[in-house]
This record gives sequence, C-alpha cells and structure tokens, in this order.
Amino acid sequence: MLKSWKLKEVVLVSVLSVVFAVVYLLFVHIGNLWAGLIGPIAYEWIFGIWFIVSIISAYIIRKPGVAFISEVMAATIEMLIGNAIGPRIILVGIVQGLGAEAVFAMTGYRRYELWVLMLAGFGSAVTSFVYTYFMSGFAMLEPGYVATMFGLRAVSGMVIAGIGGKLLSDLLLKTGSLRGYAIARSGNVHG
Amino acid sequence: MSLHDMNPTIKFGTMTIIMFGLALFYNPWTPLVIIVGTLTIQLLATDVSWKKWSLFLIPFLVTALGTFWTTLVFGKELGGETWVTLLGQDISKEEARIAMSLSLRVLAFTVLSLLFMLTTDSKRFVMSLMQQARLSPTIAYSALVGFRFLPLMQREMYQLQYAHRLRGVPLDTKWERIRHVPKLLLPLLAGSIRRAERVAFSMEARGFTSGKRTVYERIDIKPSDYMWSGIFFILFGLSIWIGI
Repeated sequence: MLKSWKLKEVVLVSVLSVVFAVVYLLFVHIGNLWAGLIGPIAYEWIFGIWFIVSIISAYIIRKPGVAFISEVMAATIEMLIGNAIGPRIILVGIVQGLGAEAVFAMTGYRRYELWVLMLAGFGSAVTSFVYTYFMSGFAMLEPGYVATMFGLRAVSGMVIAGIGGKLLSDLLLKTGSLRGYAIARSGNVHG
Repeated sequence: MSLHDMNPTIKFGTMTIIMFGLALFYNPWTPLVIIVGTLTIQLLATDVSWKKWSLFLIPFLVTALGTFWTTLVFGKELGGETWVTLLGQDISKEEARIAMSLSLRVLAFTVLSLLFMLTTDSKRFVMSLMQQARLSPTIAYSALVGFRFLPLMQREMYQLQYAHRLRGVPLDTKWERIRHVPKLLLPLLAGSIRRAERVAFSMEARGFTSGKRTVYERIDIKPSDYMWSGIFFILFGLSIWIGI
C-alpha cells in the first residue's frame, strides 16, 4: 500500500494529521463542555469534525490507504498532545479510518465527487458508531435514543466531513499549494 | 524502575488490552478497583505532576457526570423496585448501579490513559513502534516531521495575526482573536503544505529510504517491561474478581 506513495505524500499526510489533531482536540473540549449538561449526545452533531482528515487527505492524494492512515495518525498525535481518551483513541482512529477507506475502495480509488466524499463521511459514522455502541455500553440505553444519536452522527459525517472537507480542500487548491498532488491534476471542477 | 522507562509499545499494548477488557463489565467495582490501583501505581512508581494530571482530568470528570445522568434518564428500563424518583423517572437500584458503572468506566479509561500519556515520551513512542511493532520508517519519520511542525505553526499563527492586524482586522481583545482563529486555518494549512513538500524533498536529497536501517537510539524490551505488564494484568484480574 505504502509502496505506491511518494515521500512527499506521506509527509503531507502527517502534517495534515498534526494540524487536524490540534483541531480534533479543540473540539473534544468543546464537546466536553456540552457533554456534562446533555450527556454523550453532545458529541454527535459535531462528530463529522473527527472524520475530516480522512476525507481531505484522500481527496488531495487519491491513493489507497490515505483515508485510513491519515485518520490513525491524527488520532495518535491527538493522544500524544493531550487527549485523555488515551490509547483508545488510536483504535477510534482505526475504526473511523476504515469506514472512509472502505467507501473509497469501493469506487476503486477513482471517483472523488462530492457524493463519494459524503458517503465516506457516512462510512466513518457507521463504523465509529458500532465502536461507541460497544465501548460506551449503549446497549444499556433506550433504542430510540441510540437511533437519534446515530442519525445525528451520520448527518454530521456527511455534512461536516463530506461537504466541509471538500470545501476546505478546494479552497486550498486555489491557494496553489497543492500543485504537486493528484487533486491538481484531476481537472477538478466537478460539482 | 519507574514506569517512565517502560517500553512504550508494551505499555501501550497492556493498556489497550485492559481498556477493551473493561468494556465487558457492567458492575461499578471493576472500574473502581482499576482507578484506585492505577492511581496507586502512579503515586508509587512515577513522578507525574499531579497538578498537570488534575488539569487533564477535569474535562473527563464532566463527561463522567454527563454519562451518569444520561444513563439514569435515558437508560433502558430494567424494572425492579423503585429506589428513587428523578425528573419523573423511577430509578431502580439496578439502573443506578449500571449508571455508576458506566461513568466509573469513563474515569477508569481516563486514569489509565493519563498514566500512559504523562509517562511516555512521544519521540520514544514513535521510535519504539518502529522497532518493536514494525511501523514503517517512512511513516515514523514523517510523523516526527509533523511533530516538529507544531511549534513552527504556532509561530506562524502569531505572524498571520500580526499581518492581519496590520491590514486593519480588529484583533485587540482576546475574544476577537479567538473568533479570528478559523480564518487563520487556511493560510496556515497552505503554508504548512508548502513546507511539507520542501521537507520531503530535502529528506530525499539526503538519501532517506524506507528500507532496512540502523537507529541511533535502540529501544529494547527489558525484563522489567514484562514485570510492569504483569502488575497491570494482576490488577485487572483482581478488579474482575472483586467485581464478581
């Protein structure tokens, strides 16, 4: 998988991971502020934020493994700079990354239109929710409440990670700093 | 034999297994024993700053509290005799026990994680992953490059702030500066991406390859690593035993 990556692509992925690890950590604290008041559901509607690095990296580099590795890296760095969820967050990253990666794999790593990116955000929402369900003991909550949580997370994944990720990457493309990457060669002005 | 010297990969593996194990238990005692045990180890075998520790803990105390009352209110009806009535909800002893257990679980996870975080050096962790867990050197060194970017980005952020202020953006109060942060993200990212490309080129120019390599700092697995791992698993065993 890594064999097909250029070194500058690996470095780009780690730099993006570092930037978004900081953003992720910021949002953990924003979520925490709420969570004390309204419980774990506070995180759900902003959950898409935590999928965004997968989508941005995959959209820019367009190679197998990018979505997965970027998310795992961001999670690892987040742990090292101060998320007290700790080692578990790497597993969260693995799970979320797999969800997005699976969607890009299904398109054969050839299609990067908006709907694919949104679907990738949805993919991360699904896998990450299965994980949270198990780890947080959601089996002990009312099914209706759990369904609401999932719905919020899915929409958030599609909107914040899918649409937001595309918008941000397109803006970055305009700055000219991505000239050496796949996104610039795609004649990317669809949708 | 402080916990700071424990092999980071082994430490990571041990903590991970225990955390996954913890998710299988729904009684309040198992996480409680883990919390007490972990804190004891932290007190005896590390020189973690408790002030720093408390600062990191606070947000998760809030989460634990949130978990506690959500589980009480939105928890599954388990039936049983009503113990207390809260917000028009009848809560049985069993339901209160589950809520207690889930919120203590949050705290147990946090305490274990903080122990790992505060006793593990980031660079040693990445290096150990490369040497013990076969992490690809390309990824390992790129991640370290990413780390080096953090202070650079901080500096760049201040520069951008000055530049924007020079052009008339009002950035005098703290609140104005905080609100302006999202606008810095794009130029910050663009600058970092350009720098990342340059770093990658210079790594290649200096002959960086992902093939077999020697390392300056070898990180080995010592007998004491197994001992520490053993101590944690004994603690976990004890917590299960007490819980049942």
